[in-house]
Amino acid sequence: MKLRFLLTPMLAFALIAAACGGSDDAGGSGEDGEIFVSGSSTVEPISVRVADEFFKTNPDVNIAVNGPGTGDGFKLFCDGETDISDASRAIKDEEASDCEENGINWVELKVGIDGIAIMSGPGNPIECLSFPDMYSITSPEAEGVQNWADANELNAAVGGSGDLPDAPLTITAPGQESGTYASFIEIVLEDLLEEREQDITTRFDYQSSANDNIIINNISSDDTSFGWVGFAFAEEAGDSVKVFSISEEEGGDCIAPTAETIADNSYPIARDLFIYVNVDKAAEKPLLAEFVDFYMDYGLTTAVTDSKYVPLDDAAMAETRAAWSGR
Amino acid sequence: MAVATPTTVRDTASIAESLRRKRDVKGVAFQAMMFLSLVITLGVLVVLLFTVISDGWPVLSQRLGGFLTSTLRPDAVDAGVVQGLKGTFYLCAIVAIVAFPLGIAAAIYMEEYAPQNWLTSFIQLNIRNLAGVPSVVYGILGLTIFVKGWGISSITGGSSPLAGGLTLSALVLPVVIITAQEAIRATPQALREAGFGVGATKWEVIKDHILPYAAPGILTGTLLSIARAAGEAAPLLLIGTISGIITRSAPWYDVTQVQDRFTAMPTLITSWAVQPDTGFSVENAAAAIVILIFFVILLNSAAIMLRNRFESKRSG
Repeated sequence: MKLRFLLTPMLAFALIAAACGGSDDAGGSGEDGEIFVSGSSTVEPISVRVADEFFKTNPDVNIAVNGPGTGDGFKLFCDGETDISDASRAIKDEEASDCEENGINWVELKVGIDGIAIMSGPGNPIECLSFPDMYSITSPEAEGVQNWADANELNAAVGGSGDLPDAPLTITAPGQESGTYASFIEIVLEDLLEEREQDITTRFDYQSSANDNIIINNISSDDTSFGWVGFAFAEEAGDSVKVFSISEEEGGDCIAPTAETIADNSYPIARDLFIYVNVDKAAEKPLLAEFVDFYMDYGLTTAVTDSKYVPLDDAAMAETRAAWSGR
Repeated sequence: MAVATPTTVRDTASIAESLRRKRDVKGVAFQAMMFLSLVITLGVLVVLLFTVISDGWPVLSQRLGGFLTSTLRPDAVDAGVVQGLKGTFYLCAIVAIVAFPLGIAAAIYMEEYAPQNWLTSFIQLNIRNLAGVPSVVYGILGLTIFVKGWGISSITGGSSPLAGGLTLSALVLPVVIITAQEAIRATPQALREAGFGVGATKWEVIKDHILPYAAPGILTGTLLSIARAAGEAAPLLLIGTISGIITRSAPWYDVTQVQDRFTAMPTLITSWAVQPDTGFSVENAAAAIVILIFFVILLNSAAIMLRNRFESKRSG
């Protein structure tokens, strides 16, 4: 009997909720004012900035941006649940055929580039590192290596020169939660890791930090240190660090990371960032089209730079805009 | 917090005194060990609270009001938790509406009506097992049934507080049932017999004697499970709560938001804690943790107050 004072408001609440709920449309992204973006957590900050800015001039729009990962994003996108899919790689064939089966038509828009700078302290004499060099000091096989020279045997075995200097090695890099960490593995280590049947990861005995400024501080305080951060952070650090030129193969062309070499794809440790837009939904929902229009302007410039990525060069930017307007 | 704190803890001085007297050495050693366990447990809690509060201090001291009322934003200094608070509030409300009546009713049936046979004990065994299933498994269940389930998804609206609340209800139901059962079982048999003796029906005995007597116990269990639901992150991440941004922030009283995309405090904390920007990963995440802890403490105090109210009525 005395429970009644608890149960009554509960039931009343339930009834109100049920009554008010009935009229609402089910799918969140069905209505014009609803835009749902999901996918890569690397691209998420760009989309968040665009959404935030777009909302200032369109207060009726409801944009939700989520970042479960590129693969999960494409799954939702090809099920028709999202309007835009953020991606830190191009769509895979099997994902594209999923989309085709479900009748999802999309347009691929390249929005920016995630470049990674490989660095050491300012006094480091080495100019250029190859992928095998980096493999021999950062892969799981390099666990316990405290001196560059100790990695020489492994270095020679994976196709390096085998003449790394006799100098102490300390590594500071982003933690495993970071997109930059994942990109480093994907671009620099993955092929060699697979070839040598190793787990797809790095060595675990390195200093990790989620804060790029701490990483840069650690690296700059030691002339023979090693580490990596997003290109924008290395650029801000200026002369306090030594940024290596990179060659994919031992003895190959050494390319220094600059906005130009990253934008024209000649610098090897960079990956393109995309958004995929459902074109049928963009045709049905004017606000979605307007949002992507805005993305093509503010997104490719301010949002990409503020999110610490490298903007596209003029030609690539024009290409992206043409792809959108020619959808 | 809601757990009973010991009323008398002998301090170390009196332990030392007893030791000097060399009386009952084993007993004193045992008492000292128990005391040490308490110190360790509380110590961990104090350290945890201290680090979280000191990490979140810049936010808590300088912009607490803004942090509580701002929405998700791209920059750490603008971002706030109001959408997470609303999400968590509605999740708890739905758990209270769904899991409590269902759980208490199931417990009454199991204790008062169910026949003593192999089926009952099989069900009982399963309820106990379900209470031990990892929460992430309930997340998968919620994703399949409440978010994507054919027909159900048109009621829940996909990944919404409704879907999340139902998932969390399934998660806490076994615990609600078990605690309510224990409370009902603790009702003296004499109370039942007295009721039947004056000619009351079974339903009258349950409603007028057993439930009021068991109410404090039931309440403690149910409100503790609400606190659990408020802090669960894994099932929410699976059902697709938003981590980036939601531009709309419906007012608190607008119940239609139970069918919209949402975020909740545990989602914000987990996603902020791994951001590269320390404004998010240290300050905002820690401040959000402090606010969630405060929210749970409020719930637990409400539970204790309600329980005391019932207890005083029972004895009075």
